[in-house]
Amino acid sequence: MEFNRVVGTRRSIRFFKSWRPVEREKLQVMFEAANRASRSMNADYFRAVVVNRDDLDAETRDALRNPTTTADLDLAPTYIFWYIDLDYVAGAQDRLKELVEQHALPAAHGWSKAYVDDFLWPQVLEPISKDPNAVVFMGAVETGIAICNAINAAVDQGLGTCMHAFTANDKIKPLLGVPDTWLPVWLQLVGYPAEEPEAGGQRPRRPISKLFFEGHCSRPFEEDPEVTERLEREGMIQAPGPFPYRAQEVRMLSRMYGLPE
Amino acid sequence: MSAIHPSEVRTPTAGPAPDGTPTAGPAPDGRVDADLDAVAASPAARRWLERDGDGRVGAAHDGELRLLARFCASLGTTPDELVAQCTRATKSGDTAISAAGRRRTDQAISAFVVAEGAVGRDAIVLGNTLRSFLIHNGIFLQGPAAIE
Repeated sequence: MEFNRVVGTRRSIRFFKSWRPVEREKLQVMFEAANRASRSMNADYFRAVVVNRDDLDAETRDALRNPTTTADLDLAPTYIFWYIDLDYVAGAQDRLKELVEQHALPAAHGWSKAYVDDFLWPQVLEPISKDPNAVVFMGAVETGIAICNAINAAVDQGLGTCMHAFTANDKIKPLLGVPDTWLPVWLQLVGYPAEEPEAGGQRPRRPISKLFFEGHCSRPFEEDPEVTERLEREGMIQAPGPFPYRAQEVRMLSRMYGLPE
Repeated sequence: MSAIHPSEVRTPTAGPAPDGTPTAGPAPDGRVDADLDAVAASPAARRWLERDGDGRVGAAHDGELRLLARFCASLGTTPDELVAQCTRATKSGDTAISAAGRRRTDQAISAFVVAEGAVGRDAIVLGNTLRSFLIHNGIFLQGPAAIE
């Protein structure tokens, strides 16, 4: 799928084909995409544990359930538990010098090994690593960037995915053997959509002129209609929801799975 | 509130109610529970029954209403009290969902389904029909899906 169509086709999928497992190679593609994401300090901010629902015994599955996640865990065949590894700063000094050696951080932009050792590490990075708020803030931003790549890789492979809050970390942590330095961020559900991939149409978004500005916050970034038309042709901008049959689609899916209507 | 008479409870062989709600227990003998009207008139029940905005509040939802009435009777409560038990007042005076209350109510639904004798998919649908009542009254809640 072309990039623009991947971005435009992404939806939060909430009805999965519960019977169809996700191929392991597709998960690998998602993880590789996440691993290629932009990251400051070339640090590994995130960790993730993938769990296939059907590999869990009944007791473990029940332990994960709570009144707000039961249907989600039943319908999705694959769960990815995403974490920030709060120890991500460790090793940053060496990783940055590695980038200096690769000329990714060139002298043309002020970088040198001496700068990393003598100034950046002792005066910036080490203090940040001791500030819990800064650690969590940076970790959340950078992990989110990685997850975004994984989401788009899932969509590109015909998968559906939806991000959920962690609500049972006290149960999940011992079950998955999660280290104390990992902070839960998102539970990503993955599977093949039982609903149409369009999931009733593209979600409402405010025009970019409300969100982006040019030169000054008082000057909206006005869209070029020709570009908008091209993005419609290329699938980034798609027909808005709800499709006329969306309510019925949801009703029938709910009945198929015995879910509340 | 008095309990629903056992003869009002349907058996699995009775099939679904007119609105498709699965039923359990012996078939109805036509008697109308005196409490049913009170349940139907409660604001929480009406909010639930009017959720589609299509004016279907009568016979179309008969099975759902009877189920709710039986559940309320089993707990000795009313639909409005049921919703209230899932909420709590915050220090600032707002109303918030009570995690403990929601958990207790969810467990009560599961226990009720067992007591009704429903099994398999019918049990899931029965429980989720009651969860639907809470959901449409603002209580975020999920139940199991019938995937087997």
